[in-house]
Amino acid sequence: MVANIYQPDLMTVLKVQQHTADVKSVRIAFADAQRAREFSFRVGQFGIFSAFGYGESTFNICSSSNWKDYIEFCFRRTGAVTEALWQIEEGDTIGFRGPYGTSYPMEEWEGRNLIFIGGGIAMPPIRCAIWYALENREKYGEITIVYGARTPGDLVFVDELDEWAKHERTRVIRCVDPGGETPDWKGEVGFVPHVAARAKINAENAVALVIGPPIMIKNTLPVLAEMGLGDRDIYTSLENRMKCGVGKCGRCNCGPVYVCKEGPVFSLEQMKKLPDDF
Amino acid sequence: MSTIIAETALRELVNTWMGQGKHVAGPTEVRDDVVLYQWLSRAEDLRIGGSPRPRNSIKEFVFPRHEKLYGYKLEGRKIELVETPLPETEQIVIAARPCDAAALPILDQVMNWDYRDVFYNRRRNLTTVVTLACQDHDAHCFCTAVGSGPDDERGSDAMLFNLGDGTYEVRCLTDKGKALFAGALQPSERVGEVGPGPEIRLDLDSIREFLNNEFQSPQWAAMTMRCIGCGACAYECPTCHCFDIADEKVGNTGARVRNWDTCQFAIFTAHASGHNPRSVQSQRQRQRIYHKFEVYPAKFGETLCTGCGNCSRVCPMGLGVLPVLVAMQGVEQVEPSEYV
Repeated sequence: MVANIYQPDLMTVLKVQQHTADVKSVRIAFADAQRAREFSFRVGQFGIFSAFGYGESTFNICSSSNWKDYIEFCFRRTGAVTEALWQIEEGDTIGFRGPYGTSYPMEEWEGRNLIFIGGGIAMPPIRCAIWYALENREKYGEITIVYGARTPGDLVFVDELDEWAKHERTRVIRCVDPGGETPDWKGEVGFVPHVAARAKINAENAVALVIGPPIMIKNTLPVLAEMGLGDRDIYTSLENRMKCGVGKCGRCNCGPVYVCKEGPVFSLEQMKKLPDDF
Repeated sequence: MSTIIAETALRELVNTWMGQGKHVAGPTEVRDDVVLYQWLSRAEDLRIGGSPRPRNSIKEFVFPRHEKLYGYKLEGRKIELVETPLPETEQIVIAARPCDAAALPILDQVMNWDYRDVFYNRRRNLTTVVTLACQDHDAHCFCTAVGSGPDDERGSDAMLFNLGDGTYEVRCLTDKGKALFAGALQPSERVGEVGPGPEIRLDLDSIREFLNNEFQSPQWAAMTMRCIGCGACAYECPTCHCFDIADEKVGNTGARVRNWDTCQFAIFTAHASGHNPRSVQSQRQRQRIYHKFEVYPAKFGETLCTGCGNCSRVCPMGLGVLPVLVAMQGVEQVEPSEYV
């Protein structure tokens, strides 16, 4: 019998980590050993995660594809499903379908300098690529990570920022919006595009992954262009409301492309061909 | 040389099919001037041809309005999934309009690109579609303008042609159609025919050009301002296939279900953050037209519209695909009153 594409795998919750007042990440493993062995994904792909009785939500798989025993996702407590996910504890069971969509072209990026720029809750879909690059450190040039949020309390995966900075040829620049700094804040103060512009990033032969609020992306693009990056050197990951994740339910198209199948990863060159349907 | 069947024999055949345990659906006059495709319990309820035409489409027989994708049982922290068995009953849709049947191969593509929808495919395989070549188009019909026509064979397993004297020519178009009518037809010299269908013609290339070049045109708001966002167009459309997936739980048991949905609702694309890529109704109208005449054709090579006219027939505001396309083509704006 052909499988029911809508039926999820049951996943056991291994760990829940709270990052901010309203953001948590969850580590899950396949309850079925056979499925655990079969499963693989590429960084940048997403899954559809579910709380039974409440519904499904779409999140990036924010763990590295090199981690074989589990996957992780991260979410903000916003609606009915994320409220239910907020309540889960170690040992609980949730649903997972995936992996879906396109991935970051990590092989194409080999030999190049990598620039990761993220804002707020957009760190998880960058985090998977950062870990992947650090775990294959010799294949990539300099790695620069610029990560900002409104306040220090809004940064996620802060403990990992320090770990990343310990790697060779890896720089982590933290920033908070002006006015968001606290007395003990040691990072930069300024909006992400401004901080990136003054960071003297080595942009030679560089590729950038930029994910964040639309206004951050919009203002970061000219900064990257100024550094010499072309439209094929800049990537982002789009999000849209989804239900099926497999190109059928009809809601995630941005112009002619289905974000769930032809995305979520797009180069700026691809983005520029899309109509204004964001 | 053709094959024919008398209407009385056809109705007997319908009863025979039902007697064999098959489910049979066809047009039924549910009350004065309201005809719907419905499951039949007796052949005499079947209304073959005539007007008004069925208000709905036949998609619900392969893609139900509401469908359980799987169930689950919750016991403390334990969760058990319960598979939904696939349907097994053969079903026949009789006296369907060719424009309704033509939608099925179109839906097949969406339900099978990369990921195969097992529920849809099973129902589709269990279904035999018998159409009635169309002899009575109305002001809303435009099949001939979108590559279809009154005897479009797409999606039909057999097609009936009304010979006008209580008999029908039966053209069996597929193995399923042949099997359905095996032994029931009489040889004849008579051949049915239909007229040319609706006269209206549209330039689909210029429509696609408009969609791609004028995505931000203020004309969208002007053309679609009167839309109230009820979604009736999508629900009665034979090719609209968007759906929602939702949870239904009572006590410790529940199910994940899919329900028809429509791009005409604001919540269809609303992000959790509050942002909505299509926050105003004209953007949602544009999406419906854009999906049918650009997104789907670019992916699958044909139009996501068979010109049945159901959308404008049911629209309380005189909108629908045809009025928008006509307005888009720069043809004189058609007043709503002409379409209601």
